[in-house]
Amino acid sequence: MIRLKNLERSYPLSHGKFFYVLRDIDIEVAEGEFVSVMGPSGAGKSTLLHILGMHDHGWQGEYFFNDIAVHHLKAKERAALRNEQIGFVFQQYHLLDDLTVYENLDIPLSYRKVGRSERAGLVADALDRFQIVGKKDLYPRQLSGGQQQLVGVARAIIANPKLILADEPTGNLHSSQGEEIMELFQKLNSEGTTIIQVTHSAKNAEYGNRIIQLRDGWVVEPNRK
Amino acid sequence: MPGDIRFAFRNLAKSPGFTIIAIATLALAIGANGAVFSLINALLIRPLPYQEPSRIALIWEQFATQGLERIPCSPPEYLDLEKQFQSGTGLAAFNYQAFNLGGGDVPERVSGAVVTSSLFPLLGVEPIKGRTFAREEQGEGHDDVIVISERLWKRRFNADSMLVGKTLLLNGRSYTVIGVMPAKFEFPIPLFGVQGNQFAERVDIWKPVAFTKNELEERGSRSYGMITRLRPGVSLSQAQAELDKIISNWKQTYKDNYSGGGFGAKIYLLHDQVAGGMRTGLAILLGAVVFVLLIACANLATMLLARASARERELAIRVALGAGRWRLLRQMLTESVLLSLVGAGFGIFLSVWGLELLKQIGSRTIPRLAEVNVDLVVLIVTAVVAVGTGILFGMIPAFATAKPELTEALKEGGRSSTTGARRNQVRNSLVVAELALALVLLVGAGLLLKSYARVQNIDPGFDRRNILTAEVDLAETKYPQRGSDNYNRGAAMTNFWNEALRRVRQLPGVEAAAFTIVLPLSGSNTDSSFSIEGAPMRPNEPGPDEELRIITSDYFRVLKTPLLRGRFFTEGDNADAPGVVIVNDALARKYWRNEDPLGKRITFSDPRKPDPKWLTIVGIMRGIRHRALDVDPAPEYYLPLSQRAQSSMILAVRSKQDPRSLSSAVRREIQSIDPDQPIANVRTLEAVTADSVAPRRMSMVLLGAFAGIALLLASVGIYGVISYLVVQRTHEIGVRMALGAQRADVLWLVVGHAAKLVGIGSAIGLLLALMSTRTLSALLYNVGAFDTATFILVTTALVAVALLASYIPALRATRADPMIALSHNT
Repeated sequence: MIRLKNLERSYPLSHGKFFYVLRDIDIEVAEGEFVSVMGPSGAGKSTLLHILGMHDHGWQGEYFFNDIAVHHLKAKERAALRNEQIGFVFQQYHLLDDLTVYENLDIPLSYRKVGRSERAGLVADALDRFQIVGKKDLYPRQLSGGQQQLVGVARAIIANPKLILADEPTGNLHSSQGEEIMELFQKLNSEGTTIIQVTHSAKNAEYGNRIIQLRDGWVVEPNRK
Repeated sequence: MPGDIRFAFRNLAKSPGFTIIAIATLALAIGANGAVFSLINALLIRPLPYQEPSRIALIWEQFATQGLERIPCSPPEYLDLEKQFQSGTGLAAFNYQAFNLGGGDVPERVSGAVVTSSLFPLLGVEPIKGRTFAREEQGEGHDDVIVISERLWKRRFNADSMLVGKTLLLNGRSYTVIGVMPAKFEFPIPLFGVQGNQFAERVDIWKPVAFTKNELEERGSRSYGMITRLRPGVSLSQAQAELDKIISNWKQTYKDNYSGGGFGAKIYLLHDQVAGGMRTGLAILLGAVVFVLLIACANLATMLLARASARERELAIRVALGAGRWRLLRQMLTESVLLSLVGAGFGIFLSVWGLELLKQIGSRTIPRLAEVNVDLVVLIVTAVVAVGTGILFGMIPAFATAKPELTEALKEGGRSSTTGARRNQVRNSLVVAELALALVLLVGAGLLLKSYARVQNIDPGFDRRNILTAEVDLAETKYPQRGSDNYNRGAAMTNFWNEALRRVRQLPGVEAAAFTIVLPLSGSNTDSSFSIEGAPMRPNEPGPDEELRIITSDYFRVLKTPLLRGRFFTEGDNADAPGVVIVNDALARKYWRNEDPLGKRITFSDPRKPDPKWLTIVGIMRGIRHRALDVDPAPEYYLPLSQRAQSSMILAVRSKQDPRSLSSAVRREIQSIDPDQPIANVRTLEAVTADSVAPRRMSMVLLGAFAGIALLLASVGIYGVISYLVVQRTHEIGVRMALGAQRADVLWLVVGHAAKLVGIGSAIGLLLALMSTRTLSALLYNVGAFDTATFILVTTALVAVALLASYIPALRATRADPMIALSHNT
């Protein structure tokens, strides 16, 4: 599904020098895999995830997504591909504070120009599937951290993406809430969704079937199981 | 879209402080625009209340070489033109006439007009009751019918449905009411500077003309305006060409009447005549409110930019969730347009209130002000302006933030410094623009204020304090003219004037009293031509025609105008005494530059004929500024009322105390002579003088108000920018203080930044002001459009206010605790 070749991300410094966040990244992720990206702080994990999610365009190298050469696409084309194929789960949940749970789930569908009645159906299904029907009219500030992340995951998958990218999805949760989220990810993966997560937690990494280790911007162990 | 609207409401409700300030700012700016547009709509755009008003035209005569323009015609000229002028489908004549309406508890002076029967059909407005004049009713002895206005019908007669057919007592004579004209009908429309009437009152009674034998014989006695409707397919220039040909024929036929002076006639579209004088003033006002609106937009844009920074995370999430740039723009513009529409709603209320206030204070300044209202057109335009404004001020922050840096915004604690710097530049530019625009308005207001002050300080040539004035119009039936001799007519009239003066002079507190035919600075004027004894009369060369005043003997004592040489009129200058005249210094200089005018003689008769009636110059007065305070005294000459009886005069009474306290007493004394005799337009001479500068004052007040609003908005703008700067640089300020910076250093850091913005804004504003103040030249008196003192003073004031506005947040910055500031997570 994903192939990165010689991918690099750097920031310019003064006197013509560059600071490299990612260097010579060569990795492949097959469809249906559950991959965990691990490494110390500053290793470039989140940057890698944002590149995979096509949020970050300032990189060089090759990126193939389902054999589509992303590196040749314009920003608008990448955004369209991202909307179609990828869902993102953030560490800080990043729910929209002034929208209700229902509206937070509805908004990605609205951005994808899904019709109103179809959106209503999909949102209702998501609320039901994640058992948060009773919370549909609440605002994020009225939910616990775990419930917010649950909504975050629901929002990420509501448009039925092929790939979910999760950046420290349990970083702000208690262990029990974290387990719930990881089990949910495992279930989604078993249903065919490819998942790539960034995590510091070895326990969370065990839910996946492969670990990629990053250190100082380099891949040190691409296929650790 | 409904989602965007819902979200916008929620977002605004979350920040009530910002929302209230934004709505108030918009209400003020859009309301001001609504009020000014209402003026423009009613006075310039809306058609006049007649059928096909664009085809209606006025015809005025002129003596070009004498500088006399837009003068009325005489009855013989009208009757000739009625037969000869083919370019119009009809021709009508009209003249103002006041009526003493009797029959009630208190007699009332009502403004009226005498009109030919062709007028109402020409204008194409039907009465709401009864009919208008038939041709047979036009003429002496048949003209005892009147049409009244709906306004008078309701006010005075309680909308009596049986009034048509009843008789009213006007000027001591019975007239049958035959019709009532609708409220929207108005004719003649107050016209600037025509027939000397700066501003005539609204007419409530129309009577058919009844040209007297005298009027029909005097081709040179001009007092009637003429109006026509252009025939379909006839252009104004074609009508003018025909008029020129007719006038040329008159000059051949009536050589004596048109031998000199460059006599001609000109046709003007009625709308141009009514609206033309107001275009410049209204254009300046419109420019001013547009500036205010732009400043408000800039203010709101800077506020929204600050809010957008706080919304960066939300916008990044939306983009990460799939929102395209247009969706984000739409969402942000929905919010700004919503603010604008709500602001406009409140602004309409402000417009209505402002217009009501203007109607109260400006009724003697702006004609047809009663017609100005907030109608559907104004509402539609205001709505469009609101939407446009919302898009305008929402666009800059929307475009600045609709492309958020996703990775930085979505990371924990992430913040983009590069986009923040760009937004700061935009904010700074907006504040500079606000300051520049505010300076332009302030300079304009400053120039008008200085001009007004200069006008106020002009010596008008008389002492306007403590003088009460009142108009007295005697009814012809009670005070008839005797014979056709202009010099000795109306003994009853003369007795009335004498008795009125005698009684008024005896009132406690009265220092002096006199009658005059026109008051200085009242907008009214009379003039007449004359011949000078011994001066050669050359064919095709105009004879003297100067401003004429008819007065009683104490007039100059009432006004305290100094006598330069000779004497005032005395009681001895009566109808049986030799004719006398007093001239002013300007007239003396013009016609007797190298001679002593005292003892010289003039006449209104033809000096070549036997026994002309000579008038001897017995006194020379200092000139009075009659037309306007900012116009030098014109040549004038004065005749005693006793030798030139008039039926309409103005009483002027100098009092030792507040002259208004004499009002009731004067009315009582007049009515003790004749209980049916009303007095009208009772006001002090100070009020008359104040009214004469009312247009100038109005322009100054309005432009000053808008400039004040602009200054307030610009100050709020710079306060906001500097406050935001202080918040942004809290960490930096903390570090500086920890490293040893003193209070003054921090102040300088913050105020210095403000000073840079103020400096740039002032420089741009000065340039813009230099380019635009030329448009004010027509409104300025004795002040140049580039008056250095005004420019410097106003710029200094703006700089001071702006720096003060920035000083407050700067002071706050100096009070920051370095340790708290250092721990501030920016």
